[in-house]
Amino acid sequence: VRVETVDFLAIPTRDIERSLRWYTEVLGLERGAEGEVETPNVTISFWNPESDGEEFKPHVGGFALRVADVEEARGELEAKGVAFKGETYDSGVCHMGFLEDPDGNTIILHRRYKPRG
Amino acid sequence: VVVTRAAAGLRAGSIRRRSVPVGAATGSPLQVTKVDFIGIPSTDFDRSMAFYVDTLGLRRDEHSKTEFWVGAQCYGFWKPEWMNEEIQPSQTTLALHVEDVPAARAELEAKGVEFAGDFDSGVCHMAFFKDPDGNHLMLHNRYKAYEP
Repeated sequence: VRVETVDFLAIPTRDIERSLRWYTEVLGLERGAEGEVETPNVTISFWNPESDGEEFKPHVGGFALRVADVEEARGELEAKGVAFKGETYDSGVCHMGFLEDPDGNTIILHRRYKPRG
Repeated sequence: VVVTRAAAGLRAGSIRRRSVPVGAATGSPLQVTKVDFIGIPSTDFDRSMAFYVDTLGLRRDEHSKTEFWVGAQCYGFWKPEWMNEEIQPSQTTLALHVEDVPAARAELEAKGVEFAGDFDSGVCHMAFFKDPDGNHLMLHNRYKAYEP
């Protein structure tokens, strides 16, 4: 198997249009082609598990969006009415702020301040 | 099993050419510059790493026992109890790019991976399977170019 890249992430949602609006209007990501959302390095797509006969379950582990400053980005989202789960966490190598999209999928505002390795 | 390292991809036609930088020049503090990692729930880090590295042929992180890479993108295992959650498999589906979906599927099936099915969307081939914790994965190849 020769896997070169991940073409896209398909994020579970119960309402694809609502997700598209939230990821673009609230998170400020760019709308891509064909119902996708673009980040600088990963294309995000949405799928509704219920349309495939599966029970919807939110993704609790989430994915980490790099921002310059977690507290500042958090403040901007909170001003838009986004609720965060708990205080911003300092892991010792990075800051993480946890929020949820409208379906309850976890998203992490993330900034690593200590180099890897 | 050969994995192309670093920022492979962006091959003409089958992979999207991404417009960068997203959100540039907005002056907003909420300017996402990268997806740093994607979390994958796991009840057994060693078993998960063996699956993603040995079976799927992805690249183990040099420093971390809980992270692997596909091209330039990092994925990290985490235990749901860290967030006081029960394990529930992730439905966030990684679309793993391969050149030939049936051939890659056959190779993985020979290694004991079970597939749930496959699908031709009219623009791409997809074949669906799961990791040992039940997290969703697919093999993916887009054969129709994106509109310019």
